[in-house]
Amino acid sequence: MPAISNFLTRRGAALLATSRIWRATLGLAGEVVVAAVSPAVYNSATRTVVMKQIYFTAVQILVPFTLFAALLSFVLIQIVVGTAANYGLSDYALEMVVRLLVLEVLPLVTALFVALRSGSAINTEVALMRIHNEIEALEDSGVDTLRLEFMPRVIGGMLSVLSLTAITSVLALVLAYLAVYGWQPWSLPDFSRVMGQVFDGAILTSIWLKSLAFGLAVTVIPVAEGLATPKMLFMAPISVLRGMVRLFFVLMFIEVASLAFKYI
Amino acid sequence: MPLRANLSALDNIALIPQYRHNLDYAAASSLAWNLLLLAGQDGAALKRDPQLNPVERFVAKLLRAAIERPPIILIDRPALLLPDTHYPPYLSNLLERLSDHLNDCWILDYRWNEPLYPLPLPRPLALR
Repeated sequence: MPAISNFLTRRGAALLATSRIWRATLGLAGEVVVAAVSPAVYNSATRTVVMKQIYFTAVQILVPFTLFAALLSFVLIQIVVGTAANYGLSDYALEMVVRLLVLEVLPLVTALFVALRSGSAINTEVALMRIHNEIEALEDSGVDTLRLEFMPRVIGGMLSVLSLTAITSVLALVLAYLAVYGWQPWSLPDFSRVMGQVFDGAILTSIWLKSLAFGLAVTVIPVAEGLATPKMLFMAPISVLRGMVRLFFVLMFIEVASLAFKYI
Repeated sequence: MPLRANLSALDNIALIPQYRHNLDYAAASSLAWNLLLLAGQDGAALKRDPQLNPVERFVAKLLRAAIERPPIILIDRPALLLPDTHYPPYLSNLLERLSDHLNDCWILDYRWNEPLYPLPLPRPLALR
């Protein structure tokens, strides 16, 4: 009996801790979104910090990530176009490529990349700030940490996901055109017709919402997990581990929800 | 508090008047640049935290505090911040250069280090 009681107590405590962190995450996401759309929040310092954050999160990785996305897109396009030709489905190759790459693979790969590169760094930074009492020190000296520390990171991450998704998607469309129609411009009307069929209003809205949700997740979850870190140095790597696992499941959940919305 | 890792030393110092008084970047960085020149560390202006040596990092943190000219600046155990530096004369010299931009400046150090400091201490320095 005591074993069962201990087990239930432990599970209950874990469940309460999980619900606390989810509440904190949703609360932080709401606060950041409200702050980000409030012009009064953007004073000279906030603008400087946001610009630097955008540079380090989005611009610095633009070239290597775009090259990688081009390579991935090229390989996947060749596979899809080749397979479609083998089965006599060449007429559908372009639509399949666009649906596979632009609607699903590239937004997800971009979000995973930003999560690994910036999300993990943000989680570590915030966890160490909390462990070293820097967040309290900033607040004690009258600094609004949401405005100067957390919101710039979230904006940088969101813009990074949105801009990288947009750039790599355009690149994938160009590569898909070249793979299907070759190096000539006369098939642009056909290409435009297929694009019009794929990108209706609902699909465009869903891809924007999905990218926004990805961008919010890859920054808000690491910040919230960092803020929940117990004040012990050895907890920093555990905090990052938990943050990345939660982030992975949230990204996958968003992706599955988006697929269900589009195809079920 | 540590410097922001993704900002240069100049930007870290300029950020304070930008945040407190909404001073535009050009004016705030000009103030910060003048302080760095005065402290003899203008070479560190464009370096980010990981590239700074301990002396440059210490000066950046001190100037970040001094740019608002607070009533008191407390330097807590400078030996921790300035390893491998004969810090008492260095501090004395640095604070004398910045004396027009400082009010009171207190150094909190171990009593057994007191003989290391030149006496009498120049204004605005006081040993606690």
